[in-house]
Amino acid sequence: MSDLQLWISAVQIGCFFGLLALSYYVVLAGTGFFNFAIGTYAMVGGLCAAWLVINHNYPLWPAVLIALVATVALAAVTEVAVVRPVQRRSEGSELPALVAVTAVLFAIQQLGGVTFGYTTLPGQNLWTFHSIHLGSSIILPSALVLVVTTVIVFFLVAAWVRFTRTGRVLRAVGDSRESASLLGLPVGRIRIIGFALSGLLAGTAGLLFAPKAGVSSSSGLDWALSGFLALVVGGTASVWAPLVGGLILGMLQIFIPFYFGGTSLPYLLLILAAVFFAFRPQGLFDRRVRV
Amino acid sequence: MKAAGDSWLTRFTWRSWLSRGNPTLLGLLGAIVVLAWVGSNGYRQTLVITAATYALVALGMYVPFVLAGSLSLAYGAYASIGGYSVALISTKTGAPLWVGWLIGPVIAAGAAVLLGIATRRLSGFYLVAVTLLFSEAFQNYMSNSSFAGGNAGLARFRALDVFGWFPTFNQLIFLTAALVCVVAFLLSRLRRSPWGVVVRSMREVPTAVEACGARVPVLNLVALAVGAAVGALGGALFTQMVGSVQPDTFTLNLVFLAIFMPIIGGSGTPWGAVLGALIVVELTLNLPSLHTSGTLLVALGVLAIMLIAPRGLLGYLGAARKRAWDVIARNRVGNAP
Repeated sequence: MSDLQLWISAVQIGCFFGLLALSYYVVLAGTGFFNFAIGTYAMVGGLCAAWLVINHNYPLWPAVLIALVATVALAAVTEVAVVRPVQRRSEGSELPALVAVTAVLFAIQQLGGVTFGYTTLPGQNLWTFHSIHLGSSIILPSALVLVVTTVIVFFLVAAWVRFTRTGRVLRAVGDSRESASLLGLPVGRIRIIGFALSGLLAGTAGLLFAPKAGVSSSSGLDWALSGFLALVVGGTASVWAPLVGGLILGMLQIFIPFYFGGTSLPYLLLILAAVFFAFRPQGLFDRRVRV
Repeated sequence: MKAAGDSWLTRFTWRSWLSRGNPTLLGLLGAIVVLAWVGSNGYRQTLVITAATYALVALGMYVPFVLAGSLSLAYGAYASIGGYSVALISTKTGAPLWVGWLIGPVIAAGAAVLLGIATRRLSGFYLVAVTLLFSEAFQNYMSNSSFAGGNAGLARFRALDVFGWFPTFNQLIFLTAALVCVVAFLLSRLRRSPWGVVVRSMREVPTAVEACGARVPVLNLVALAVGAAVGALGGALFTQMVGSVQPDTFTLNLVFLAIFMPIIGGSGTPWGAVLGALIVVELTLNLPSLHTSGTLLVALGVLAIMLIAPRGLLGYLGAARKRAWDVIARNRVGNAP
């Protein structure tokens, strides 16, 4: 565990997972359910920008803007057109919403394939400057941009949830939709804001992580799973818990193959997830009081 | 006592069908139509093999997913187990092939029970995540297995024999359709059996079922085992008919499509999953004008069906039948002297 280069990779991947988990967290705080389609929003964020730049010669920043608008729109449409009607009809049962979200994930994955093609595209670097050398290790610009952006985003979201009216109402709606609507809070509007914000976060995450290993239309499912695991490991006690979960998962992702061989990762992840879910499904940090 | 021949088949009249409905008869008619359409056209035969595999995997998922209400995404692994059993028995041993067909579902059921015990406290999103990880781990295991050919998989199997009888390929296609019909029929009986009723109530009110003395965890495990066995049968069928199997033969795409098939066809009867499988194969493989967008069309169609017509095609057919029967019944009352 003394190789600095491995730690840099672990932190980079950890920040990406943390951003995805934060995207889950925002929806979870507002609606009380896991939006698996978040992985595909991240895929659209990374792939759409790369596709516009590479295949259509767009300048970088307009392409990035279009990609982020697309992810926000997809997230808002998911809520308005699918999740809300299905949840209203299923009356508290979880399965219909789960199946609906799975269908959304699959549909966006296919939509990405049909629109952007099925090849893997290299991600776009937002800023290019010289790599930083630390001894024998190198920090690439894309890694630095991802980490710095993650820290800033987490500060902003933490402040938003704690200090703004919208952020507090979001938490109130998530705690109890019935009492929130009885109090006259704008439940529908708040939920759309929560989904749109999660789309923005996921799109940003995909955009910033794409330079590391490229992005294809099938990346979304893996990313959805990683973000979900990061959130479950971290818990939901505070906005920062997803980041902790993401960093832990990032370390596992890097150090397990390094010490136990490349093929061991799926087995150990399966065992860890099964054990963790069974004994601590509320995550490491939990604000509920045990009764 | 009724005579054995006095079954639903001999008592059939249009009037009784309109009054009660009978998806099994409709399913048999559908199978005959499909077989007549296929004939001995090789391309259409591969379509039928794919549709039958999809249908069996979807029928397997139907038991835990639609009846017991727990969504597991490990069905790619179960189908793979079925396929590899046939492949390994065929290439590595001299044992009769039916041993492979039998062992696969048994191993898959065992794997499902073990995974079910490990995940018995999980539901919903947590179960989906763990079963996804399981199928990834299983695919990884098969890719690195030296005994099963690694990434290249296994091929060149012995011809299938049924106790010394070697059916031709056309006869095998016929047997494939028959297998799907038999499984769908058995599952529709299972759904209406006392066990099926208990499992379906467990989906809605697990606490009440538990309070009545039924053991919910055991019911769940049995549902998972039955589903996995049927899914493995689908994998065995595909592997035998296509003649090769690789670690990525049964992809996650197949599992996603298998979730959607009962929704498209209608989840009120297992035949809905079969109908859904036919529609999915038609849209994704048989319409050249759609190219790659067929799968997108299926996904969007599923979303539309969930939002607008949650009972699926057969559900609406049933409603139409009921309305027709009401009209007939009213006319009869009106015409009575």
